[in-house]
Amino acid sequence: MTEYLETTVDKFIFKVATDRLYTSEGLWAKNEDSLVRIGVTDFFQQRNGDIAFVNLQPAGKMLEINDEVASIETIKVNLSLSSPVRGKILNINQKVVTKPEIINQDPYNEGWLCELSVNNWAEESKKLLSPEQYFIKMKNDAEEEVRKG
Amino acid sequence: MPELPPKKVGIVTCSGEELPEGTVTRLAALRVLEQLRPGETVTICLPLFLAGGEGDRAFAKFYPTIAIDGCDKRCAYYGTTRYSNEPAASLVITDLVKKHGLDKPDGLRKLNKAGLQAVEMAAHEMAAQVDSILGKSWNRARGEFGQSNNIEQPEETTTATCSCGSGIPITKLNISNQEITVVGLPLIFETFQEKDKEPSAATLDEIMDMVKIYNHIEIDAEPALRAEIQKGYEAYFRKNEK
Amino acid sequence: MNRATKVNIVPCSGIGKSFGSVSRLAAYYITEDDRPAETEMVPLALLVLGDKETNDTVLSNSSISLDGCKLQCAKKMIGECGGQIARDLVVLDVYRDHRDLKPAGIAELNEAGEKLARALADKVDPIIDQTLGKTGEGKNA
Repeated sequence: MTEYLETTVDKFIFKVATDRLYTSEGLWAKNEDSLVRIGVTDFFQQRNGDIAFVNLQPAGKMLEINDEVASIETIKVNLSLSSPVRGKILNINQKVVTKPEIINQDPYNEGWLCELSVNNWAEESKKLLSPEQYFIKMKNDAEEEVRKG
Repeated sequence: MPELPPKKVGIVTCSGEELPEGTVTRLAALRVLEQLRPGETVTICLPLFLAGGEGDRAFAKFYPTIAIDGCDKRCAYYGTTRYSNEPAASLVITDLVKKHGLDKPDGLRKLNKAGLQAVEMAAHEMAAQVDSILGKSWNRARGEFGQSNNIEQPEETTTATCSCGSGIPITKLNISNQEITVVGLPLIFETFQEKDKEPSAATLDEIMDMVKIYNHIEIDAEPALRAEIQKGYEAYFRKNEK
Repeated sequence: MNRATKVNIVPCSGIGKSFGSVSRLAAYYITEDDRPAETEMVPLALLVLGDKETNDTVLSNSSISLDGCKLQCAKKMIGECGGQIARDLVVLDVYRDHRDLKPAGIAELNEAGEKLARALADKVDPIIDQTLGKTGEGKNA
């Protein structure tokens, strides 16, 4: 069962799953038996609002780090999501394309976006943030947003 | 003394769709939230007091609130009082229109000239109430203006925020076989932990002072609550220690 | 058994997002323009107040809730009052079928928002027929 780091900022509660790695933009990458699964964080989905549409890059596409892996339109913004790793897309989560609200409801589990085969996860993972590192960054970002409004 | 979260005034509108005055409440509130007092006000949908959670119901206790109603049914005022806390101020559009000698508003989707005048008038009345409320000390425990807490409020402003669905953190504690709800405890713990305030008798005194700002504590319950909060803060501090 | 003659339309009262404004405008289209004789607007505020007349209305007729967001306050409030829900609609779901109609503005909706409200009202039209046991009569009957 996934464990979480949790913090409260203003009226909001944000969770960070401890079993995966992160980018500072709010994507997570989880190594699962030679496949790396990618999704967005709880803070990301709360900050950006209800998701209206998701467009995923197709299975078979080769991605470099920071290539667009998906684009999301929420009720607030349009966002392009950058791939946290270099690899080939093997599977996409079709459920979130037809029911994007799953990402808001369950960003760490059912709301995953796609799975990539990654040649050297050990090397790739060094470029990512640990849960604790992301937690601190996220908390600072959340507090800054409250201060700014 | 650690800073309290920035003060804001809550605004609850009736938003009634059947009368032009309901439309006036909505537009006047938006004028205040977005333009006149963006950093100092926050709103919540009235139905969330019933459809939402306990955090939503704590809204009018956490924030001194202005209820703005279209007519003398005063849905926003009575609804907030019943399910959250009595508002600090109450405005009724029909009364304000009379008071200022304006024509009766008309139009539901699009207000007529009289309606737009009523919006401006009501927005400025609300803004004046916001200023008055922020100038006073709000006792969150009793949901009324109280004695000064001798705590300086930070002057930072932030733009208006919608509270839909987010809720105020609530903690339920079991004390002497009674369930006690404490508002704002995670925020308070976080405030103290950020300042590296190690668990001690002095720190606990300060924590209890802050808890009493947000919550009404019966004298008899205070020792047991203090003991629970001490345990809670010790665990929190250890877990989040840098 | 008497056939139902009216359907309640219960829009969202949210002022935090443009989707709330879309739900309200759609409710006005339905109750004022399209089907005034067969529908009744029910303000959520009166349900929260526990207004007896409004409660009776919700209990007497089936309701269609038009919510601005996934919190679905209108749907929940109808349930709280013991009313029957003929259909619960969320503006975001309708927007997904009309991607070109991105709403903006809360106090005043943009043109796309007005068209989205029109699309929502059109979606409600056959549901009213279904609820009243009519076949294909629609707003032009």
